[in-house]
Amino acid sequence: MATSIHLDTVRKEFRTLGNTHVAVDDLSLDIPEGSFTTFVGPSGCGKTTTLRMLAGLETPTSGTVSFGDEDVTDLPPQERNVSMVFQSIALYPHMSVRENIGYGLKIHGVPKAERDERIDEAAEVLQIEAQLEKMPAELSGGQQQRVALGGAFVQDPDVLLLDEPMSDLDAKLKSDLRVEIQRLHQELDTTVVYVTHDQTEAMTMSDQVVLLRDGELAQVDPPKQLFDYPNSEYVAQFIGMPSTNVVDCAVEHRDGETVLVGPGFELSLPAGVDAPTAGRVRLGIRPQYLDVGSAGACRLSVDVEVVETLGTESVVHGRLEDGTPFDVVSDAVDDAVAGDRLDVSFDLADAFVFGEDGETILFGSERAGERSSSPAGTGGVTP
Amino acid sequence: MATSTGRSLVSHDTQKRLQRIAVYLTALLISVFTIIPVYVMVVIAIQSPATTFAGGRVNLLPTQPSLRNFLVLLGSTDTVRYFVNSLVVTLGSTVLSTTIAVAAGYGLTRFDFTGKSLAARAVLFSYMFSPIVLAIPLYVVFSTLGLLNSHFALTLALTAISAPFCIWLMWQYFQTVPIALEESAWVRGASRWRTVRDVVLPVARPGYISAAIFAFAVAWNDFTMARVVMSRDEMYTITVGASLFLDRVSIGWGETMAVSLLISIPPFLIALFLQRYLLQGFSVGGLE
Repeated sequence: MATSIHLDTVRKEFRTLGNTHVAVDDLSLDIPEGSFTTFVGPSGCGKTTTLRMLAGLETPTSGTVSFGDEDVTDLPPQERNVSMVFQSIALYPHMSVRENIGYGLKIHGVPKAERDERIDEAAEVLQIEAQLEKMPAELSGGQQQRVALGGAFVQDPDVLLLDEPMSDLDAKLKSDLRVEIQRLHQELDTTVVYVTHDQTEAMTMSDQVVLLRDGELAQVDPPKQLFDYPNSEYVAQFIGMPSTNVVDCAVEHRDGETVLVGPGFELSLPAGVDAPTAGRVRLGIRPQYLDVGSAGACRLSVDVEVVETLGTESVVHGRLEDGTPFDVVSDAVDDAVAGDRLDVSFDLADAFVFGEDGETILFGSERAGERSSSPAGTGGVTP
Repeated sequence: MATSTGRSLVSHDTQKRLQRIAVYLTALLISVFTIIPVYVMVVIAIQSPATTFAGGRVNLLPTQPSLRNFLVLLGSTDTVRYFVNSLVVTLGSTVLSTTIAVAAGYGLTRFDFTGKSLAARAVLFSYMFSPIVLAIPLYVVFSTLGLLNSHFALTLALTAISAPFCIWLMWQYFQTVPIALEESAWVRGASRWRTVRDVVLPVARPGYISAAIFAFAVAWNDFTMARVVMSRDEMYTITVGASLFLDRVSIGWGETMAVSLLISIPPFLIALFLQRYLLQGFSVGGLE
């Protein structure tokens, strides 16, 4: 039975030689039952520590962890119905694939006949039937990963935890396994918590993405919401490939209008915008929302440095006139070469404005009214 | 210039040939000092002294093999008893030392406790003691406890010599066993003890087999501790017993070499028997 997970001001400190390192800093979070939730963030942001606290491998310094209504904060891993796939895969080298997958069932005293039946079922789902009698060392990396997955879900866990399970696999295998894991999630009655540093995995697989920063919650939202309504510069830059362009702008007032003045462009904000009346802000614009040419309301030019061709589109890495790095993704820049000057434009609707503390103070789309989606803030997830 | 064109003074083939000759020469030199003494031992052991010394010189090409030396050992000495004593204390000490090493190694790598680094340093320090340094203090201890002339005391004394190195070995070995293997078993519901049995010990097998072989070698070849702890003839180990043969008039080269041959048999069997396990163990350990 899938279960919901609740974290209430969970804090984890590690003490080494008199230094206290706060890995997870008063994290409160609800993970709906049956959902696919991804913890994402750069290394050292506390995502793996949080996952290990869900598994029972670490005990929180303070705060509580509950599964449904049950407080499991101090429950050892053996007494929680969770399964975990480790980053290092952690197959037992001395057991065959069959024994590896069935080890948890054996511990729980499932009779051999039933065990074999369930192992065969799992192997069929993961397409490793032919490998069942082999030893882990004889398998390829992708097959080993499938075995680890099989060992985790064959136990029918309430919560399935995955700790960067694909970090050592090549790109092709990653995309195959991504689909596989999602399919598994649909078939199983399990709450999945997935940890990754790869925002693509987070965006493509999850119902809900938890973005962490230095042990604190940066934002919790469904992927699309996170992409369209990042609540800070950090979120906007972390989510999306290539990263959101961020440009320093001065705020000026002219004839009752608020104008953002950046390197080589000006952008006037419509009346009634709740923007600072002076000082500096940072303007965020996703490379995908830039148009080559002058169709958009705001024009600027980019000095091209590197062009990456991806097939249907190209990524142009360049700089603005003051040296700010600026990327453009477009299908109309095939002939651009280093040294060119590229004229691009965008609309306010596609921009974000960040205050000096990095918080988002304006989503362009809200003002321009071009998108119909609701503003950020709700983390509603349908299992 | 020779180097600028990538050619050296001797051709590649010549270099390879020279390399091979060097390897063979080294191997030959080593075998001269290892195989010849063993050969001499075997030949003298399986010939009667009359044959060995016939014609006023030492005959090292066996012409008339005989079991006479072994029969003398069985008939007029306590060799069998010494041998059994050796087996008892060696087995006891090997098992004890390996068990301590596995437990200590696991504890040192898996638990945090105060004084951990001190304990680790103490282990390394005690490894540097020569057996004779421990011999007299241990004699005093065993004498006080009334344990002199017992297999038990000698087992403990031998363990005191071999355990530090075995602990150090297992400590190093457990550091190479990924903790994720254990954590994975815990999450699946296995208790810590069950995890040790199902996962830790099988994975650490190459480590504890090496530790056991070391402990065996120390105990089987020990002379000092047996000499100190055992003072009654019937409690001597085979090493002490064999050395005493040389003092006897009735025992000559032949019998001494025969007993040496007997002493060599267990290590030889161990090497032969465990080779398979060692290789198998290494291939398992090579997965990570």
